[in-house]
Amino acid sequence: MHISEGVLSAPVLATGVLLTVAGTALGLKKMTYEKIPEVAVLSSAFFVASLIHVPVGPSSVHLVLNGLLGILLGWMTFPSILIALSLQALLFQFGGFTSLGVNTFNMAAPGVITYYLLNIPVRKGNYLIGTLSGFAAGATGVGLGAILVALSLVTTGEAFLNVARLVVVAHLPVMLIEGIITAFCVIFLRKVKPEILEVRR
Amino acid sequence: MSLEYRVQDSGFRHLIFCLLFTVYCLLFVSLAHAHKVNIYAYAEDGMVHSESYFVDGTKCKNSVIEVFDERDGTKLHEGKTDEEGKFLFKIPKATSLKLVLHASMGHQAEFIVGEDEVREAMGIEDQKQKSELKSQRPNPPFTKGGCGGITIGPYIPNTEIEAIVESVIDRKLKPMENMLVKSQESSGKPRITEIIGGIGYIIGILGILAYFKAKRGIKTN
Repeated sequence: MHISEGVLSAPVLATGVLLTVAGTALGLKKMTYEKIPEVAVLSSAFFVASLIHVPVGPSSVHLVLNGLLGILLGWMTFPSILIALSLQALLFQFGGFTSLGVNTFNMAAPGVITYYLLNIPVRKGNYLIGTLSGFAAGATGVGLGAILVALSLVTTGEAFLNVARLVVVAHLPVMLIEGIITAFCVIFLRKVKPEILEVRR
Repeated sequence: MSLEYRVQDSGFRHLIFCLLFTVYCLLFVSLAHAHKVNIYAYAEDGMVHSESYFVDGTKCKNSVIEVFDERDGTKLHEGKTDEEGKFLFKIPKATSLKLVLHASMGHQAEFIVGEDEVREAMGIEDQKQKSELKSQRPNPPFTKGGCGGITIGPYIPNTEIEAIVESVIDRKLKPMENMLVKSQESSGKPRITEIIGGIGYIIGILGILAYFKAKRGIKTN
């Protein structure tokens, strides 16, 4: 899901930077003092998750966890993912600094969308609904991310349908795994730390 | 006062949760793999050999590789990697070559094979070096009756000696080459120190943020 340096054209990169700056500003504004440790933990989780590799056919894909981040952090997903991605670019040369904006947007925006779609059932629904929407959150986060990656790559001149099919198909197993992980996290948090899942004002 | 107390308490509990979660994350590290592509290439006997692989060591199969003239950027050749991530092609031009690997889903990497290496592989020796070699090359020694008509050894032409030496060196250097390729492969892998360091940075950065937010909070109160 990390697009390398030198693949995308300047307008796409610039758009990515602008959207990411806007999202990060909004996220920082919403970040309360109490929420900071949680952002740090989830940032770290995201940072490590990309190192967990799932072999799929000819390519290799990795966990993203943007659905989980989205559900728990809302708009704060942007700063959280931005920090983790910067460090991944710096330490592991995943992606790159020029494509940081696009990559952050591609992974954080689906998180925010997931938050608005599934926030209420995850927090308010009964056990079954909560679990199912947790699964849905994990899967949509990755799925939407894959579609955004495909959209960014279209501008390089590759046929959209081909790229989209490739990216989405490659991420189907990840969607499944992340759905299960997110569902388990939701169950766990509802039991052990229900205050994290309190509906925010 | 009561508000401040509540803030601290919740911060502390969050911190414990955070530490537990980090430990939980670290359990995964033994499975750690990554997602970045590498390409490595060298020139030999008029051909360029290249190998492409993801950081975790899986080979990039059927990925497009473009070859450019590094100086003026013109495209010289294009091809696909085989099942083992290898791609072999004839040197198109005596110049330094830039190989660009396009793996699927926006992954890209490049490698430059230097002009000297390309020229040597093509058999184009440096003109100056060649003449030097010629002047140094002595007449075949000990061909006919050295000391009082005794023949010391059979005549071996220089080219043959060269071929023998080359084959021996090749044989000896092959393991070294493999070792270099291997170490290149593993040097791209994220190390545990980097992973833990990264987590430390994240907590540090957000700690600084918390510091400033806390300061502002005290001021407004």
